[in-house]
Amino acid sequence: MRILGIIVVILTGALLIYAMGDFPSWADPASPAHNHVSPRYIEKSLEQTSVPNIVTAVLADYRGYDTMFETTVVFAAGVVCFFLLRIPRKDEPTVRRYRHTLTGMTIRVKETRQIPPVLEEFERIDTLWAPHDLIIKTCCRILVPFLQLFGLYVIAHGHHSPGGGFQGGVILGASMILLAISHDLRTAIGRMSERVHAILCPAGVFIYAGTGALCMVLGLNFLDYGALAGILHVDPVTARSHGILIVEIGVGLAVMATMIWIYNNISSKGKYDEGL
Amino acid sequence: MDVIVVFLIICGLIFFTGGAVGILRFPDFYSRLHPAGKLDTGGALLIMVALALFNLHHFSLSTLLTGFKIILIVVFVFLSSPTAIHGIVDAGVRAGLGPWTKKND
Repeated sequence: MRILGIIVVILTGALLIYAMGDFPSWADPASPAHNHVSPRYIEKSLEQTSVPNIVTAVLADYRGYDTMFETTVVFAAGVVCFFLLRIPRKDEPTVRRYRHTLTGMTIRVKETRQIPPVLEEFERIDTLWAPHDLIIKTCCRILVPFLQLFGLYVIAHGHHSPGGGFQGGVILGASMILLAISHDLRTAIGRMSERVHAILCPAGVFIYAGTGALCMVLGLNFLDYGALAGILHVDPVTARSHGILIVEIGVGLAVMATMIWIYNNISSKGKYDEGL
Repeated sequence: MDVIVVFLIICGLIFFTGGAVGILRFPDFYSRLHPAGKLDTGGALLIMVALALFNLHHFSLSTLLTGFKIILIVVFVFLSSPTAIHGIVDAGVRAGLGPWTKKND
């Protein structure tokens, strides 16, 4: 089986290297991309999509399929991580550790299926426990809302400045991961549970593909946002601009949920009970 | 105005240079983190204030807003950079790395 895999990999690599021979040479001004495609984007993108940032216009409008399947790849990465790592809850009793906050005493509770009564002065701690640092906790708690605000800004302002769904989604995801690092994983999961990730991740892809399908229902091609003009009550050019924004929101949701999902699965070794 | 801006930028550059030299020359982990945390933050403060002042040459609402944003960057650097250094030092202490003393050398 392994030898078969190596043969397939070598054949694929050889095919790719062979195909590279047909590429135009490096920085060739006469290559097709520089003759027709780029000048058209540079000249026409503002009047066709009313988006000043050409990168965003190309990414989300002219090459909408490409970005849609990129989002799908991100989604697939999250799902694969979930299937590989996640260990479903077992029925056998587990050992949990609690700490008495007043005296600093630690107790081990061998738990059967019954959850012990939650007492005010006991807090649950990890097996490898490091005491929470007040400075780090407080600073991160102050920073997290600003980070999330900045992430939303990056998503919404992708039309005018560098940014967009992928970058903004990464910032949003990083803010939740920062919460998990500075406190612990249970705090972060308490804010945003696994179910939320599992819903948001496909929801982002669905928003993207659904926008494309809606365009098709309204009588134009798949992902031709000009079709949304009737619904949004604007002219087709502005509708393309708005369509890009809708699509970017979908991308941002998918990327954010995937990042947190992968992080949680890896840091808790798939058990979702303890970890950073 | 220009004199103040240039003076602040040069001060900031001295701070950054001191930070870089300190990271290279200090003997151990903790003392190296000390210039990394303090001088970089201080240098960032001076240079950002200089840029905000330079930006106010043409005084209007938009340049004032830009200056405010630059000062906001300073605030966030002041929040996050010392916290990060503190976290790194804390991890070092917890991992059992002792501080440098003269007789170790």
